[in-house]
Parts: sequence; C-alpha cells; structure tokens
Amino acid sequence: MSKIALQGGATGTATFTIEAPTTSTNRTLTLPDNAGTVLSSASDLDAANLTGNVAAARITDALNASGSAPIYACRAWVNFNGTGVVAIRASGNVSSITDNGTGLYTVNFTTAMPDADYCVSGSANQGSGSVECVGESSGGIRTTAAIQVAILNGATNARTDRPFVNVSIFR
Amino acid sequence: MNSRIIYPNDDGGVSVIVPAPECGLTIEQIAAKDVPAGKPFKIVDVSDIPSDRSARDAWTVDIADLTDGVGGESNVFN
Repeated sequence: MSKIALQGGATGTATFTIEAPTTSTNRTLTLPDNAGTVLSSASDLDAANLTGNVAAARITDALNASGSAPIYACRAWVNFNGTGVVAIRASGNVSSITDNGTGLYTVNFTTAMPDADYCVSGSANQGSGSVECVGESSGGIRTTAAIQVAILNGATNARTDRPFVNVSIFR
Repeated sequence: MNSRIIYPNDDGGVSVIVPAPECGLTIEQIAAKDVPAGKPFKIVDVSDIPSDRSARDAWTVDIADLTDGVGGESNVFN
C-alpha cells in the first residue's frame, strides 16, 4: 500500500489547515499520480497545461462557434478614415498604414504573418451613387510584413478615398 | 499619435505613414520597421499634412528635407 506523508514548510511559521466541508457523506479525494502543485481557485494556469476537450469547448463557447468546423483567426485588422487627415480609428496587429495616394494604402503588420499566403478581406462605406470595392492592389506588395490594398469606385473603377475603410487578414 | 512619417515613393509622389495608436510602438520604431529600405524619411506633425486630398497624387516632397533617417534593411518591400 502506498502512503501519504504530510510535511511542514521549511521556513514558515503559520499553521496550514486542511478542512473538511460540512457534509454527512463519506468522500474520497484521489490525488493525481504525478508530482506538481495543487491548483486552487486563486491559481494561474499555465496556458501550456490547458489542453484537451475542456479547453476546446471553452474556446468554442467563448466564440459562439457551434458545430465542428474549425476556427481560423483574424491575424490583423484595421479600420481607418481615408479622407481628410487620414487616421486609424482602431486596429489589431497593425503598426501603421501607409497612404500612397488616392485610394491606395499599405497595411503594415506589427507582428509578421507566418507566410504570405493569407486571405485579405476588405470593405469601404458606399459613396454617392456607387459601391466601393476594397481589394489587393494590382502590382502591390504582399509580404509577411505588409499588404497593399486599393479602394476602387465601383462605377468608374478609379481609385477613391472613403471615410470608412476596413481591412482584415486571415491565416 | 499626432506624428506622421513621410518618404518619397516609387511613383514620384510621397507616401505618408499613419501610425496605429494601439500598436504600442513609438513613431521612431514604426519608422524603422515600416519605411521601405533605402527610402529617406522625415517625422512630421500631423498638422503638416494637407487635409485637402483632391490633388493627393500630385503631392511631392523635397528629398533634401527628409533628414530623420533611411528605411531599415529589414524592410524587404518597396
């Protein structure tokens, strides 16, 4: 039969108490067959130890993702004003945008993408009498560090500035 | 962030780098990272950038004024 040894702290002076709950039912608390520190409600859990079905369920629940289809994350995004004084409203993993001319911008990533095979998605608010299209610019750069996008007037196909431009990167 | 970074682009015009306020980098760090390699640049106040973009593609810059540095070699894009 294996044994249980209780050992006091080497230097502390306080008393550590193990207390039973208020119950009339006999219970057995089985310790794990490995070394380590018991996790309490006040403990931090190393992300490396958060694995398996419970972790997967927690993540899919947090993302309201039903079903078993895999989830692929947005790796960078930006919402900016491309008119007047061009400015970024909000962003994630974007260090800056480069205004290269009318309707032509480079989105620079703070942390590089794992490769340049990512998916680019974009939108811009509608102008008067036209629907704007945001896409990868012809001949523009596509690297792990940055992507160049153009905003085109849907009626004339000319580059245009719009007050709401949104770009997101998936990989 | 009220600064912008300007540098000459390959089309003969001027590119303006607009920093992301939430990125956690300084304007100097952004310049070092996002100015294309070999391009001289200057950090300017946002008030120095015209808000009238009607002739945006005609903007030019005097290279002699771009005295704050040159884009790092880590930038492989142009």
